[in-house]
Amino acid sequence: MVGLVIVSHSAKLAEGVAEIAAQMAGRELKLVAAGGLQNGGVGTDAVRISNAIAQADSGDGVVILADLGSAILSAQTALEFLEEPARERVRIADAPIVEGAVSAAIQATIGSPLGEVADAAEQARTLRKL
Amino acid sequence: MDKSFLGAMEAITGTIHENKEFLTDLDRAIGDADHGHNMARGFHAVMEKLRASPPADLSTGLKTTAMTLISTVGGASGPLYGTAFLRCAKVMQGKDSIDKTDAVQLLGESLDGIESRGKAQPGDKTMIDALKPAYDTFAAASEQNRTFLECLEEACKAAEEGVNYTKTIAARKGRASYLGERSIGHQDPGATSVMLILKALTEYYKSL
Amino acid sequence: MRQVMLTLTNPAGLHARPAAELVKAAARFKSRIVLEGNGKKADAKSIILVLGLGLRQNDSITIRADGEDEEAAVQMLAELVKQRFHE
Repeated sequence: MVGLVIVSHSAKLAEGVAEIAAQMAGRELKLVAAGGLQNGGVGTDAVRISNAIAQADSGDGVVILADLGSAILSAQTALEFLEEPARERVRIADAPIVEGAVSAAIQATIGSPLGEVADAAEQARTLRKL
Repeated sequence: MDKSFLGAMEAITGTIHENKEFLTDLDRAIGDADHGHNMARGFHAVMEKLRASPPADLSTGLKTTAMTLISTVGGASGPLYGTAFLRCAKVMQGKDSIDKTDAVQLLGESLDGIESRGKAQPGDKTMIDALKPAYDTFAAASEQNRTFLECLEEACKAAEEGVNYTKTIAARKGRASYLGERSIGHQDPGATSVMLILKALTEYYKSL
Repeated sequence: MRQVMLTLTNPAGLHARPAAELVKAAARFKSRIVLEGNGKKADAKSIILVLGLGLRQNDSITIRADGEDEEAAVQMLAELVKQRFHE
């Protein structure tokens, strides 16, 4: 099953997004929050993200949902710390973090492959709220 | 290991610390007002790590620097400077001193690392606008058989000119790019920190 | 091919949680399952497409399954709709 990593500048936000996504998903889904800095401050930490990816990956790959700006840079940097082939099976989704996480979580839960889970996250931007 | 690496890192950390508010103010004008504080937090953490367990060699010291910046800076400059220092660590593998040829390679690899990580080009109003002229100038001066110090001083001058150039252009990368034309007139905080780091290294080299 | 047409009676319609329940249920079957409503069609095993139907309370929904377990699939999904997704 594809795993998910939620990257945010805030640890609380990452955990909150993971909480919402987990509620919709199955228990088997590996959903890891990687928010904030080690000292509790606001920011993103590529080392922490890299560890989260390793934790979320059960061999089928990982989709990363990230908030803003440096979250993407840190996620990309995190990939450098992974060995092949683990690095090959990570996708950073260009998606709104909450909607993307929820759709990816559901799609991953039903056992869809990496590409479809990443697509579910990215297409979440097309959903209208009103 | 030679004490000079720790000395150089201390010099950088000192400069960043002294300019913490200045860099943050620059960032307040066109970014999110955290560059100085982020950099200071990162370099202080680096010094703490290096002092607690002095690295066995240059490459290890640079790698520790990179990983610490990556996990403590918090903003975009963490992965960017971290990537540069990681590249430097690779260049210095198996070497215990830095000559002019090494320095050219260090600057070149740092530039390449930051360019590929940040996907920025010259003229985007970023760190690149200080680092690229510094690299070009250092490499050219080295070709002309100038001394290490002369190469460094000319590179610093080029970086300073690069920083001034960033005042005249609109940002195309990062948070400042949201401002577009309104970012003109402000110097880029990232380019400024690159320049400050080069200056700190030059001053340190002079003091040896 | 089997199909059934129902009315969504749960207050939230085919919103996030009910859609998630439906997609997870659909994924248990081998058959190709298509939902139809609001003038649109969606693969019942894609959360984005199901949410994209934008179905609300009192909208009608057609569940169509095609494959070896089509009968069980339609029956189970219809039951889920009738049970109002256990809301």
